[in-house]
Amino acid sequence: MLHASEFIGRPVADADGKRIGKLKDLLAAHRGEVPHPLLVAIEVKQRSGSVFIPMHEVAALISLAIPLKKKISEITPYEPLPEDLHLVRDVLDKQIIDTDGMRVVRVNDLELTRVNGDVYVANVDISGVGLVRRLGLGSLADRLAAHPRSSDLPSIISWDNIELLSGDQPMRLKVPTSKMADLHPADLAEILSDLSRQEGSKILETLDIETLADTLEEVEPDFQVSLIERMTDDRVADLLEEMAPDEAADLLAELPQDRKHDLLELMEDKEAEDVRKLLTFPEDTAGGIMNTEYFLIPSNFSAAQVLERLRETAPEAETIYYIYVADQDEHLLGVFSLRQLVLAQPDALVIDFMEERVVTVDLMDSQEDCAQVVSKYNLLAVPVVDEQKRIHGIVTADDALDKIIPTAWKKRLPRFYQ
Amino acid sequence: MNLWQRLRPIRTRLALLLAVVGPGIITANVDNDAGGITTYSVAGARYGYALLWMMPIVAVALIIVQEMSARLGVVTGKGLADLIRERMGVRVTTLILALLVFVNLANTVSEFAGVAASMEIFGVSKYISVPLAAIAVWFLIVKGSYKVVERVFLIASAIFLAYVASGVIAAPNWSEVGRSLATPTFHLDVGYVTIFVTIIGTTIAPWMQFYQQSSIVDKGIQLKDYAYERVDVVVGSLFAVFVAAFIMIACASTIYKSGLNIDSAKDAALALGPLAGKYASLLFAFGLLNASLFSAAILPLSTSYTVCEAFGWENSVRRDLKDAPIFFGIYTALIILGAGIILLPIQSLIQAMMISQTFNGVLLPVILITMLVLINDKRLMGKFKNGRIINILAWTTTVILIILAAILIVVTFIP
Repeated sequence: MLHASEFIGRPVADADGKRIGKLKDLLAAHRGEVPHPLLVAIEVKQRSGSVFIPMHEVAALISLAIPLKKKISEITPYEPLPEDLHLVRDVLDKQIIDTDGMRVVRVNDLELTRVNGDVYVANVDISGVGLVRRLGLGSLADRLAAHPRSSDLPSIISWDNIELLSGDQPMRLKVPTSKMADLHPADLAEILSDLSRQEGSKILETLDIETLADTLEEVEPDFQVSLIERMTDDRVADLLEEMAPDEAADLLAELPQDRKHDLLELMEDKEAEDVRKLLTFPEDTAGGIMNTEYFLIPSNFSAAQVLERLRETAPEAETIYYIYVADQDEHLLGVFSLRQLVLAQPDALVIDFMEERVVTVDLMDSQEDCAQVVSKYNLLAVPVVDEQKRIHGIVTADDALDKIIPTAWKKRLPRFYQ
Repeated sequence: MNLWQRLRPIRTRLALLLAVVGPGIITANVDNDAGGITTYSVAGARYGYALLWMMPIVAVALIIVQEMSARLGVVTGKGLADLIRERMGVRVTTLILALLVFVNLANTVSEFAGVAASMEIFGVSKYISVPLAAIAVWFLIVKGSYKVVERVFLIASAIFLAYVASGVIAAPNWSEVGRSLATPTFHLDVGYVTIFVTIIGTTIAPWMQFYQQSSIVDKGIQLKDYAYERVDVVVGSLFAVFVAAFIMIACASTIYKSGLNIDSAKDAALALGPLAGKYASLLFAFGLLNASLFSAAILPLSTSYTVCEAFGWENSVRRDLKDAPIFFGIYTALIILGAGIILLPIQSLIQAMMISQTFNGVLLPVILITMLVLINDKRLMGKFKNGRIINILAWTTTVILIILAAILIVVTFIP
């Protein structure tokens, strides 16, 4: 395994033995489907500017002076392409994202490997040993490396598990690679909280609205605000429409009046109306934390009809595990679970298998009350009703318990998987 | 459209200004920490108005340096240590940070000295006040809300206006003050050069550059709001030097005039006599305690952040001890060492407070050169890199500082 730190800065000499400069940088490029970049050229720093030597003219890398295969006059310089990676300038000492360990780390050294005469970038070294090696204490580093200390997360990361930050690369197209988009929103949120605001914003720009909404729902409202600060109002409005109304309401509540007003204007009327309604309730009441995306069916439906309706409209609902039965004026008549629905005969009427004594909370009940109810009756969600028993929304278990248990723990509670 | 809505553009601009204001003003207030108060007091007490001419020049230098640090933070969105690591490699980073940690330790010692000195005015022995302060500071970092602490500190800093009041009430000979502001004097003896470098070091402390830049990055101030940040920086710097100058004037017109010396904090408190009469000591003690405690909290914290930022170690106050061992380790060590050193038998707490500021002055050119290299990098700063005038001013300041530091070293070791 070659370490980049071992030959950067070394003098470079041509076939005549003439010193032409110092090794300043290594250029690498992705060739084909191989996830590891291939070294294509070296940058040699001379008195006036730099020259790029193609890799196939380099005889060896591990050497006190790096030898070239031909005389300098016989070598055609390499023309760097905009998408080439300058390993020293763009990767070494920079922050990157470890998509395997879900964290933001700094590159201390690079491990290169020779395969069939070609040199590839194998791994990124983020360990303290790597730092020691960079300080020029190679022998000490080797001795330390021989006694690895166990830690939770590895300090040598394979190149295909990292994501480079765009840094100050105006030329590099920031493509939302599948690596970032595949991460669980909670992990994305954690990585975002470790990045600087600028870098975080850049990554947010590349995400699609759905992923963005999911990620935002994982973080606290005040952090949400700082993340959306740099976004255009249009994008934020789209985002708010995509988020669950109660989450959107929480976020809007944190914004200054003017911006809140503007955003509500930009949102689609139906969505804006839901959110406005939620905003009228104090934050720490059932009305303030409830969700308006519940599933309601009329009392004269059969089980089969319910399933039919579910398939048509369910994607919008926050939870379909409880199905609420109501009359035309939304007075709550009963509730049944998805389990009961699936087990019932297709032609059975819901009136026959629904539970008529529904556990509810009032609009103005406190969060603690909701949490009590949810845990006493082992519910996934509890409906919120007014004095006439009309349903206004549902409070999901994780929202009810959210304010009671600090957020760090919240991440360990299961979320509803759609 | 009602009046409230009509005023919107103005409201927005005001709100923006208030939102952005912070890093500059806070950094400036932190400037008047134990080391600062002591240095300016001693300068006024020992040399009268003779050093006043420095203050406008130092103010300009401070504004230049703070503005560069703010610009670096806003344009790159990264802290100073981060930039040094990314642009200048591991070796340079290690060297600079090693020096910074050493100097910051000296500064932390100075803050605890301030705690000890101020509590001595109340008659509390340093063996009680300092350990208590160390524990309090440690808990403040681990459990406290930084925002609340910051706000309390800022409000309490208003105490320094007492110096302004005192200086005015002492009714100094204002024409003499005016003359001193315009007449440079310089002597090539150890005492003079030392106080010279010390004043610069305490006004433009290296750790303040790192702290301010991180603060700006943390706040997420964007490029488009940079004009407001500039206002914040300039106002903050001017305020800091204004207060510093008045500390000098107040001490000059009370202590120097009476031919006394400052050997202890109680002596320094006399400067507040004209304003507070017999309450001068109490007022001074309270001001010094406030400044020392706050700085004793943020110095180790800022150092920890800086080191972890540069070397990629976990850094966050919200992580547990086992998740961020080095982060916790650094500031705990700084607090323990800082407090510990003060508990050793020390002749003069005043001396202890001032020596750290001299170190600041010697390290400053190194940090300035680093900042100048970074801020002139076109790749990094784009069109925000230094213009020619700023470069000339900044480089001149740096060269003068290097010469002064060299003179200081020569004059100290070669009598």
